[in-house]
Amino acid sequence: MEEKKVVLKLENVSKSFAKVENDDVTHALSSVSTIMESGEFISLVGPSGCGKSTILRLVAGLIHPTTGSVTVDGKEVEGPAPDRGMVFQKPTLFPWLTVEKNIAFSLQMQGKLKGNEDRVEEMIKVIGLENFREDYPAQLSGGMAQRVALVRSLINEPNILLLDEPLGALDAFTRMNMQDEILKIWRKRKQLAIMVTHDVDEAIYMGTRVLVMDANPGRIVADIKIEEEFPRDRSSAAFVAYRNDILNKLHFGGNKAE
Amino acid sequence: MSHKENISVDGKLTRQQLKELETKKMTPLQKFFELVIMILPLVCGIIAILEYKLIPDKSMNNNPNTYLWVLVGLVIAYNVYGWFSAYRRVKGDKSVYEKLRFRAPLYSALFLLLAFYDYMTIKTGVLTQPFVPCMNFILNAAIRDYKMILECTVHTLWLLFLGYTSGVVLGLITGITCGYSKRCRYWVDPVIKFLGPIPTSTWIPIMMVVASSLFGGAVFIIALGSWFAVTVASMTGISNVDKDYFEAARTLGATGRQLVFRVAIPHAMPSILSGCTQAMSSSCTAIMIAEMLGVKAGLGWYMNWSKSWASYDKMFAALFVICIIFTLVTKGLEAVKRHVLRWQNGAEK
Repeated sequence: MEEKKVVLKLENVSKSFAKVENDDVTHALSSVSTIMESGEFISLVGPSGCGKSTILRLVAGLIHPTTGSVTVDGKEVEGPAPDRGMVFQKPTLFPWLTVEKNIAFSLQMQGKLKGNEDRVEEMIKVIGLENFREDYPAQLSGGMAQRVALVRSLINEPNILLLDEPLGALDAFTRMNMQDEILKIWRKRKQLAIMVTHDVDEAIYMGTRVLVMDANPGRIVADIKIEEEFPRDRSSAAFVAYRNDILNKLHFGGNKAE
Repeated sequence: MSHKENISVDGKLTRQQLKELETKKMTPLQKFFELVIMILPLVCGIIAILEYKLIPDKSMNNNPNTYLWVLVGLVIAYNVYGWFSAYRRVKGDKSVYEKLRFRAPLYSALFLLLAFYDYMTIKTGVLTQPFVPCMNFILNAAIRDYKMILECTVHTLWLLFLGYTSGVVLGLITGITCGYSKRCRYWVDPVIKFLGPIPTSTWIPIMMVVASSLFGGAVFIIALGSWFAVTVASMTGISNVDKDYFEAARTLGATGRQLVFRVAIPHAMPSILSGCTQAMSSSCTAIMIAEMLGVKAGLGWYMNWSKSWASYDKMFAALFVICIIFTLVTKGLEAVKRHVLRWQNGAEK
């Protein structure tokens, strides 16, 4: 399939939120600039409050920057669109729809379901839930639900895939399985994927680039290219070196005491 | 079920097979006890028949066989049901049997209650005739006057239908718009706060003065009560929709109206339906009061009317009919609710 190349540009993006309790304002992001392209898998890693989710939500178009601009191929992002698919930490499957209908939701909303039923079928096969198509989300395990959520946005073949800590709520084994599944899906189409995570290992294991962020105000402190072949070995020397480097930048390094 | 021993636990196993595998074998004493419970309704039914036939009546009893036939009919019905369940059980479907086994003690109690009531009324007169008529009187009255009772039932149901549906439809419209639009809520909230606490029956005297037709007035009152319940329920339902669902839906390409009809309303459905149930119970109350006080037809009116003619048997007959139709209406609503909200009973598979 012919892949559309996209360039995502953040130029001097700042985002501030008004606090609920008083008149103060939180500076979630402070003049962040970066460029991302199709074929990249970007991991955003950093402590809470560093604005990593804010970046995703800005790209998704769910919120708008206070100053600066977010552009895809030179065009300003104005609102959410199915070509920028997003997977949230909670699966947010619609509990009143079956697995099959949840996956078909997006096509149906865009009036494209007719004639594309085979795509729904294909997505169900990708995650191997053929026997669960008539089940409701309440009957699924956390991992299954998150798989459904993943293909629910993948069905639009988005040029940009936004993953907001999608594996954060899963147990360690399911998590490792799904890391590989997501990578497999991404390597097939090589769209631009941006994933938020708290887990430095996950960031290195999956990312072609890791953006290390820090809080107060939210900013990017390091932009590290991971030059390792997939599949990566979590215990290789290079992997460990990357990990130490990133942990140091997050002030968790071993030589912190000095 | 000859292959019962061969079921491997990891193979395909139905819920019923699983249950059978996990339940302990019954001891002979337990089996005997089960059998007694299944037969008990029959015994109690026969007791009721004997009580009616053998003890002499204290007062005049016309057409004495009506009640007798009903009792016999009930006993036969239990019998047929019992044999049917046994047949299904042999065929491997235990569900009918289990349902019957669950209800058997209740059926026994019902027969005993009938016998006891009969003894207290016609046999001893502890409950004075004709003020508390015995079952035979009530049944005879219902048969004698069935045309009128039927007419009144249709009238009551029609009134209930008109009032309830118009109230629910209007309630859904206001509730959903108000749940969604702050400006709409600004105007409707005071109306709800002001009118809400007033019980529906309060409006009846006013309706009798103001309304040109009492029927229309009654429809209005029933509708008002259901409108209120449904509006409040759907308003809270819609405004409590999790923001995450809207965000997910928007990233999936849903816009404007789709967010309302495909996300907000389905999400608010449990709340909306519980509003509908509440509206039904308020409608049932309102309709009876309206018919007893003003409207010149319907079962409520019929009860009042037979009371003034001292036909207490008819009054009780109407009471039973009211009980039956309201039970059926509520059951129907429950069934709709269960079907619409089938996605809620997760976990269980």
